[in-house]
Amino acid sequence: MRPVNAATLFTPPEAAYATFGEAAPARNRVRFLAVGLFAMLLLLAGRAVQLAFAGDPLAEPRPVAVAATTRADIVDRNGVLLVTTVRAYALTATPSRVWNGEETADALHRIFPELDRAATVRRLGDTSRQLVYLRRSLSEEDRANVHALGLAGIGFEAEDRRIYPQGAMAGHTLGFTDVDLNPLAGVERGLDRQIREAGAAGRAVRLSLDVRMQYALETELDASARAAGASSAAGILLDARTGEALALASWPRFDPNDAGAASDNSRRDHVAGDVHELGSTIKPFTVAMALQEEVTTSGELFVVSQPFELDGTIIQDHEPIAGITSLRDILARSSNIGAARLALRLGGARQRAYLERLGLTQATRLELGFNEAPLAPHARGRRDVAGLGFGYGLAATPAALAGAYTVFANRGALVAPTLIARAPDAEVERTQVFTPEVTRQVLAYMRAAVVDGTGRAADVPGLAVAGKTGTAEKLGEESVYDDSRNFSSFAGVFPAHDPRYVIVVALDDTGEGAAGGMVAAPVVARTLRRIAPMLGLRVEPGAPAR
Amino acid sequence: MDKALLRRGAYAVAALIIVALVIGLYKAKTDAARTEAHVRQLQRQIEESEADMRALRAEIAAQESPARIEALAENHLGVVVGSAGAALPENAIEQRLPAPRAPEASE
Repeated sequence: MRPVNAATLFTPPEAAYATFGEAAPARNRVRFLAVGLFAMLLLLAGRAVQLAFAGDPLAEPRPVAVAATTRADIVDRNGVLLVTTVRAYALTATPSRVWNGEETADALHRIFPELDRAATVRRLGDTSRQLVYLRRSLSEEDRANVHALGLAGIGFEAEDRRIYPQGAMAGHTLGFTDVDLNPLAGVERGLDRQIREAGAAGRAVRLSLDVRMQYALETELDASARAAGASSAAGILLDARTGEALALASWPRFDPNDAGAASDNSRRDHVAGDVHELGSTIKPFTVAMALQEEVTTSGELFVVSQPFELDGTIIQDHEPIAGITSLRDILARSSNIGAARLALRLGGARQRAYLERLGLTQATRLELGFNEAPLAPHARGRRDVAGLGFGYGLAATPAALAGAYTVFANRGALVAPTLIARAPDAEVERTQVFTPEVTRQVLAYMRAAVVDGTGRAADVPGLAVAGKTGTAEKLGEESVYDDSRNFSSFAGVFPAHDPRYVIVVALDDTGEGAAGGMVAAPVVARTLRRIAPMLGLRVEPGAPAR
Repeated sequence: MDKALLRRGAYAVAALIIVALVIGLYKAKTDAARTEAHVRQLQRQIEESEADMRALRAEIAAQESPARIEALAENHLGVVVGSAGAALPENAIEQRLPAPRAPEASE
């Protein structure tokens, strides 16, 4: 409305009528505004009534936030659960509310004998702190037991805990976490990022392991390591075509559910975390290098009956081979002299290049928390080159050796081992090291080593294992090789007519005379006998169990 | 008079609308809070159920572990897996598995 002023008050009637005539549109505008506001209020009221009585906006479908654990489950290639996260409880105390610290500590000590009583009393009396943690990762049963005590000031906080339902099986491979679920070892650490991502996405991480094969390998390795008095042992079974590790066994075993109770040696992974001079299991590569570089032929004959002196060092065979011998017998009967001569023909540079391409001079890339790097110094003279030819002067892990043996199952191409299950159509990276012809030739020699050579105990009738034994003396005090302490191993592929799988078994610190053919090869035979049906391979039914 | 009546009527309607608005808003907020609490409770139940399921899956995996199955098979069915006990003793390998050719193979 326009303001009324003096001019308006003293306006003559005609003029006043004119002013009233002008006010009519203004009143209309006010009415329109009022009607508009009223309509808006009606709309709001209607919507409010609708919301209040007719519909529930929160009842509309909305994505439910399903609680995702921070770490994913880990399963084997067949979906068998290996690691999961379960609910656990942390035992807490509010010191200001604890009536009697000593009595409370005594009561708790009866349930948890490993609880340090003096430290508990001290912590319960520390009233400067609002909350103290007394124990972590308790089970529901522990919680119920403590609740039953009715202790004042004692409470619980819910938390997550990793558990390993298979117990000690594959403990080294799976690894473990601390109470805060920080990864400390194994794939828990090696695949930490993937495990967290999978956990956030609500899916599991699938490993290439097969618990059935893992169990068979571990059981046989355990029995043999105990019988041989070994200080440690390792076994690995690979699908060489894809590089997938089907079983990865380390001995002594430990239970990751109680990793803190295990000794350092038990917790140590001897498959990828421990390096050794490999001994004669290197010889198939020496022969393959020599054939590949055409410094010998399959028809060449050798005389290796006499010890071989090289720069003041005598190279000799454990049991001399009399007369003339062939390349086949050099490998089948594990002649150090023959392998040394072939290595010398090759020369240090070419030998090194092959060892590098075989992955024996770098740490493996298995998805574990720790892969030990090999000790692979460059050969400094002819003696070193000769020694490398029969497995001395290069210390690598059994995992690296298994990776190198994939060349015998892939027509000369190397496939890196992995612990992650691959999709059937996944592309596999291959590095050609030897030609298929050379590989086939060496494979025949390796088969001879099992049929009538040092690896006879690895033979499984019907399965056609091809491989090589290794017995490396260990360095003793004053860096002198000690023939009473051996690293005994067997590395091979099967079935020999169309190899697909690689198996390596190694026992450390076996006694004098405990050669690879005596202690490691039988483990291979017994393991393969058990797992062959799982791989769809047939063994002769009537053959005796060994 | 009509105008005054109209105005009073308008005031009454406006007051009713405001009251309806206040009541409606209160009810909507109360229902929303109740529903939210219900959703939170359901989420807690889901978490509890998932935790129980994980614990049960772990228990199943432990019950189905090869070691336990093997022990049960041996104890109840008499099925014996080829084991170290059935293996050739190490000191008998040379005697039982002699090299087919002379001289005897060496390491």
